[in-house]
Amino acid sequence: MKPKVILGIVAIVAFTSLLMYNFGESISTYTDFDTASKMNGAHVPGTWDNTQDYGFSKETMQFTFFMKDESGNVRKVVYPRPKPNNFEDADRLVVIGEMRENVFYANEMLMKCPSKYNNADPSEYTKASES
Amino acid sequence: MSEYGPVTGIVGKLLITLSFLFCLLSLIYYFIAAKNDDDKKLKIGNWLFVIKGLFMIAASAVLVMLLFQHQFQYYYVFNYTSLDLAPKYLWSAFYGGQEGSFMIWIIFSWIAGLGLIKWTRAPYKAPVLFFLGLTQLFLISMVVGWRFGDFTFGASPFRTIAEEMPNAPFIQANPDFVPNDGTGLNDLLKSPWMMIHPPILFIGFAMMTIPYCFAMAALWKRKYNEWVTPALPWTLGSNLALLTAIFLGGYWAYVTLSFGGFWAWDPVENASLVPWLFGTAGIHTMIIQRKSSIAQKSSLLFAILAYIAIVYETFLTKSGILADSSVHSFTDLGLYNQLLAFMLVIAGLGLGMFAWRYKELPSPKKESKVLTREFMTFTGAIMLLVLGLVIILGTSSPILGLLFNENPTPPEISFYNNWSMPIAIVMAFLTVIGQYLFWKKYDLESLATALIYPLMLTSILTISAVIMGDVRNAYYMLFLFAGFFAIVGNSWVVGRLAIQNPKLIGGSLTHVGFGLLLVGILASSAYNRPLLDKNTENYNASVKRGEINDEQGFKVSQTVDMLELKLNVPKVINNQYIVTYEGYDLSSQNRPGQQTYKIRFDNLEGKFLYYLYPEVYPMLTTSNAQNVNWSVDPDVRTGFLSDIYLYVAGSSFVEARNEEVEKRKVLQTASDTEEEQAEAQVIEFQRGESKKIGGFQFSFINFIQADTTNLPPNTSIGIRAQIEVYHEASGEINIIEPLFAVFNEEGNSYVMSPPVNLPNHDLSFQFSKVNPEKSSIELSIFGLDEVYEEDWVLVIAEKKPFISVVWSGTFLLMGGFTLSIFRHWRREKDKQKE
Repeated sequence: MKPKVILGIVAIVAFTSLLMYNFGESISTYTDFDTASKMNGAHVPGTWDNTQDYGFSKETMQFTFFMKDESGNVRKVVYPRPKPNNFEDADRLVVIGEMRENVFYANEMLMKCPSKYNNADPSEYTKASES
Repeated sequence: MSEYGPVTGIVGKLLITLSFLFCLLSLIYYFIAAKNDDDKKLKIGNWLFVIKGLFMIAASAVLVMLLFQHQFQYYYVFNYTSLDLAPKYLWSAFYGGQEGSFMIWIIFSWIAGLGLIKWTRAPYKAPVLFFLGLTQLFLISMVVGWRFGDFTFGASPFRTIAEEMPNAPFIQANPDFVPNDGTGLNDLLKSPWMMIHPPILFIGFAMMTIPYCFAMAALWKRKYNEWVTPALPWTLGSNLALLTAIFLGGYWAYVTLSFGGFWAWDPVENASLVPWLFGTAGIHTMIIQRKSSIAQKSSLLFAILAYIAIVYETFLTKSGILADSSVHSFTDLGLYNQLLAFMLVIAGLGLGMFAWRYKELPSPKKESKVLTREFMTFTGAIMLLVLGLVIILGTSSPILGLLFNENPTPPEISFYNNWSMPIAIVMAFLTVIGQYLFWKKYDLESLATALIYPLMLTSILTISAVIMGDVRNAYYMLFLFAGFFAIVGNSWVVGRLAIQNPKLIGGSLTHVGFGLLLVGILASSAYNRPLLDKNTENYNASVKRGEINDEQGFKVSQTVDMLELKLNVPKVINNQYIVTYEGYDLSSQNRPGQQTYKIRFDNLEGKFLYYLYPEVYPMLTTSNAQNVNWSVDPDVRTGFLSDIYLYVAGSSFVEARNEEVEKRKVLQTASDTEEEQAEAQVIEFQRGESKKIGGFQFSFINFIQADTTNLPPNTSIGIRAQIEVYHEASGEINIIEPLFAVFNEEGNSYVMSPPVNLPNHDLSFQFSKVNPEKSSIELSIFGLDEVYEEDWVLVIAEKKPFISVVWSGTFLLMGGFTLSIFRHWRREKDKQKE
């Protein structure tokens, strides 16, 4: 083989390995509150625990609520922004951030809403007949 | 509801089925025609092709008719429209759902096919149309909706609610149930930008099929060179359409959504970017095709890859795989297997044919020198390919992430940024060197000489930008230098060409646009700053130094990036503006329940600059009496140097409405508990006097003699007080005239003062007393908050420098592509004449 070809192959292999390594580093795994305490930038999916107090405080400029993760742990979550608009409606939340003691500090929060694009459960549609 | 309703749906399904069958038939004829070069079969194939499209258009017309007739027994109509929807949105609901978007894609693809029938020359004509028909067959199969027992093939737009939700209680109670109204179109999508975005995107998708078809035809017919001339204008056209669609999507996101940017590396955005990158790579190699044998191979590959990218990203976004990683909501219509088959066939055929013919493809006779236009253009194409592959990798995290863990999340945004930045820097340098070499031969020395002035100008621009923008990051400096170099160097070429032959400037113009994009993107994203007051800035600075601890003694790591504004209390922001919240307006009937907030900007000298009018409104599609979903509509002040982007993230008005809803909920659940008797607040004032309380100003204007006809017969006094109620935050003025009457009955005197209600503020008033000695009156007010909180808004505001540069870069790219389309179309026309 020509040296140029070898050089090319080495370059491609090196680039691909670096890319894959970096890709592996930049993705994380969905986890629960227990494991999140050992991680930075943990993604914790779960549902809002609506039995407990929640709300935005103008004193601390934070939105706090309780979330139940998929293992059933309920933890307080602090989010440094106002309450997202469709918060109550979300049937699934993903909070991204750090666990400290028993409080999860979310830097980001994603909400999955039962949008009309989904085949939502029919109970939602009974309204239409009443109205 | 029309009695023909059920029949219409069957007609629609039948039309799609016919379209599918004609497509299948035309494929057979095209295949034979391509195999045997049979012109007669080709003609029959063309007729079948034309009829197929007419059936699809008829089916679409039926669907549009159902939408306009509000036939809510059809799931598609029920799910995407409602009675109050304006006609333009009824029209856009046609392609608002996946089924309709497949149909519009098929129609555009068919129209492109008509062009191919007219213009394509032998020997490519039959095989090109065969492959185009093949992709259409897959697309039509997505909407046929045939049922075989439990198995459904395709998702028909004409399925009824009963078919969609057979187990719903209301369907089981009454199978012929027809809802009175539909769920409506998502409020966010009610935007003119969103009306034109999908059709343009699908024009791009449809046109990008054509280079794929030509490449496949070239491989089949072993004519590896001539396909490029007719394929190039189509590829350019597709790229122009995709770019326009990307721009519209980005602009819509910027002015409508609250993430405050035009690009978020969301899978859906990537889905249109990657084909664009591959298509652009293909354009580069097609242009140097005649001079470079390595380009002949790679043009074929890029043309194939660009369409595979479209199908792959369609698969990712429509199969439901991305449900967790995108902010867009996707339905899983059960098309997973069909989409997978589509992708595997397109990719398998494309890459398989390429591999099969690979040995035959022309290979380079001699090594090409580095300083040639072929080498530079080819390297540019490779960089575009690499960038596209990186983005595909990131977007595929739900699949490829499984290599790393069981439950992979999407990559951090920094993954995309970290990889695209160095690639973009290399590209920027390549564009200039490539463009210089494209029009003239240079050796190293003469090239260096030619580049002296552009380099000097670039340095001056970079240094000024670094100083003025206070750029401290060396990497950003390099990026800026590369961006400015692309702008200056390519403008130089544009200038020279404009003198010699202005028709040729298309390509150079796109490269200037690319440079502008780089500079604009860096400035607007890396130097995007929240607008904050001094206190918050100091607080954030302490947070960054790690000096702030919370109640539990933990270090606070999160900065506060929002602004609280009290009604009519000016705040100094960023040491640059004085910002005042001047109340809100409920009167604009754009959307029911919408508040338009009035935020005033002055400069530090107190000179008025402008108002921003962010809006908050309840999302009608998802709100109900128990739960109001508020949505925000930001306002953007566009300037040449920077934009101010602002939205209201919370307000006392919204909070009060939410509390009301909560209260109603509590009342509903515990209706037997008595409502607490509200405490009245009593104010005493004289005629002409005003009193402020609880966000209102009450002015006692005058007494009016009451009309005694409706009063009891023995009334001794009967007066009304004319009172002006001014609500400070909304500026609303109401005049009330409560009554105070004294009448005698059986020797006793009674006071009569019926309450007057002001329902939009939930207040009620009673004219409770007259004090003749002080000539004043007492007014009792019910419903005012005891502890009144002043009206406030929480505002998230950002200053984004040079967004205008991003847009102008995009426009230059569009303009350059347009010029190139004309140029290469002319070239193809000339070939046809020969």
